[in-house]
Amino acid sequence: MSRAVVFGGAYAIAFFSFLFGPLIIMVITAFNSSKFPRIVPWDCFTTGWFAELFGNQRLMEGLLNSVIIGVGVVALAVPIGLAGALALSELPSKLRAMLYTVLILPILIPGVVLGISTIVLWGQISRGLGGAVQAGMYNGYFLTIVGQITFVSAYAMLVFIARLQRFDATQTEAALDLGATPGQAFRKILLPFMAPAIGSAAFITLLASFENYNTTVFTVLSESTFTTALASKVRHGTDPSLSALAVIIITITLVGALTNEAVQRRKEAELGGKASRSPLYANPLTRALTHPGVVFAILVAIVATVSYVGSKHDSSVCEAAILQDKLDRQAELRAAQKAKIEAQEVEQGITVPKPEGGFGGAFGGLGGAAPVAPAAPKPEGGFGGAFGGIAPPAPSE
Amino acid sequence: MKHVTRAYRALANRHGMGAALFVAIAVTLWVVVFITLPQLSMLDYSFRFNLPADQIGTEADHYTLSNFHSFFFNADGSLNRLDLVILGRTLLAAAIVTLIDVIICYPIAYILAHGAKGVAARLMVIGLIIPYWINEILRAFAFRVLFGATGVVNTVGMQMGLWDVPVDFIRADVALYFGLSYAYILLMIFPMYNAIEALDHTQVEAARDMGAPLWRVHWRVVLPIAKPGIVSGATMVFMLTAGALAAPQILGGPSNLWFTQVIYQWFNESSNWPRGSAYAVVLLLTCISFVLLMMRVFKVSVGEIGK
Repeated sequence: MSRAVVFGGAYAIAFFSFLFGPLIIMVITAFNSSKFPRIVPWDCFTTGWFAELFGNQRLMEGLLNSVIIGVGVVALAVPIGLAGALALSELPSKLRAMLYTVLILPILIPGVVLGISTIVLWGQISRGLGGAVQAGMYNGYFLTIVGQITFVSAYAMLVFIARLQRFDATQTEAALDLGATPGQAFRKILLPFMAPAIGSAAFITLLASFENYNTTVFTVLSESTFTTALASKVRHGTDPSLSALAVIIITITLVGALTNEAVQRRKEAELGGKASRSPLYANPLTRALTHPGVVFAILVAIVATVSYVGSKHDSSVCEAAILQDKLDRQAELRAAQKAKIEAQEVEQGITVPKPEGGFGGAFGGLGGAAPVAPAAPKPEGGFGGAFGGIAPPAPSE
Repeated sequence: MKHVTRAYRALANRHGMGAALFVAIAVTLWVVVFITLPQLSMLDYSFRFNLPADQIGTEADHYTLSNFHSFFFNADGSLNRLDLVILGRTLLAAAIVTLIDVIICYPIAYILAHGAKGVAARLMVIGLIIPYWINEILRAFAFRVLFGATGVVNTVGMQMGLWDVPVDFIRADVALYFGLSYAYILLMIFPMYNAIEALDHTQVEAARDMGAPLWRVHWRVVLPIAKPGIVSGATMVFMLTAGALAAPQILGGPSNLWFTQVIYQWFNESSNWPRGSAYAVVLLLTCISFVLLMMRVFKVSVGEIGK
């Protein structure tokens, strides 16, 4: 059994290195001053790529568009998803399976197809209506929101289905028996029960809308969202400012995950009645320190300090040194080349009397089977040597 | 229809008229306006000629099969190998990526469901989710950093003396396969995990006590339970991989196109929407038939997906 545990542990480690390795390497490249995102050779430690990132006009405009679209999508997809989940809960099983298939389909349909079908349909509708309606309808914002809702609502619905399965319907019945109207029961019993799910559905739909590329790249028309601007930047050459972006996103994610972990642990400890037993919760100082709000504040403070110190870091001296180093090496190479050419010129002056062997060797290497095979293998002239360095003059027989 | 009205009445009785109306309107809107109509409209468009705006609605605007015909055949009547090969290769590559994901995710899903406990399990779940929060484009970019000509793999490999000229991993599609396998791991693991978790661990122990070797325990005890989860995950991974656009654009070799890139070109570079629509219809139909075929083979229903 222990062999299985060792094997399982080793596999888990390998798996998570595959999951995190690329991300860690990308994070490191954000701090290398090299123009290409790389780790070796390491040039200078720099924070300049962050400044470059924030200076990117197109990305920042895309960010604003993404926020606008994201808000619209959340506002529509969450209620639609909730409606879908409620409808499924009431239908008889055969119809439920059918509706479930139809509603889940947009997650599986290639995003490209969703995007195309959206612009084709709304293009036709708006052309039919014409005028001001066309301008209001046939633009990147409207089309992207409509296109994304199609599948993002299904994500929201999955969250609601999971929550609804744990709903105790007798609560609603009790409320009705006690004289509440169905509407009151809905607002006072079911909706509060769904509140956490509404929160996580809103979060998931926002993330899905923000990240989406395949559908958005068609529906956004001439505008651009954050993700499409990012994609076009990656396609047209890469530089480490994208790694800097990854650093920011990963930092936000980690802060969120750690805070969430603190919340979960506290909830668990309090629910389990372990609060009095755990020494962390008995001591008022550590109790305050492990409070999720405090954890979050500490993390934010750390991030803020690191970014402040980072923004003060000046790598220009080091970068200048690297540049100087490169220039020096270039000058060295140039000098060496010059010396070589001069040496050749001198040599050429000597070898002028017998150039045939030299040419034979040079062309023999380029042309394959040399016609003057006996002379070719051992070129003696200056040209033979000069060209020999580039293309080995050995003729293939 | 009778069932629908009955369900509507049940909703109204339990949650009130307002809630029932809201559900009815929202679901109808979603099913009809957002899901069905766009697909029908695209299908309709794929049977039309690519006409300038002023000729739409005139006599020249009638249905045609030419877009589909030119997908299968060239103008001279020979097979359109270019597009057919690209579609075939996209499906094959998506199937390979799906298979890779099934193989690498199964042990993790099993460990998560039956091996890891407490903190370790929670850390694993967080570790699985975090990469998924990072933008798809950036995940692809990470593999470009890794596999580029001056990338980490090349520099390390050359320094170790494994090869001495930079290997073009992008052109060889190595980066693409890595990036695509990486992209949808989470969607494979969670359905698998949900299915395996339902297995009572004493069954595994019983099989071990009876002397079954480890592989046999998995083959005869765990896999049958995991099957719906595997098929559900595989369906999602396959569809998303075959429909991927960003990863092939960023990581794909310049000479190997993904079928979605062909569609993208018809729309955005050639401005031939009807032809692009026809290709989108072809992609949709082949993907769905492929998945349905696989479900038939493995005897699983569509209702299992997403659970």
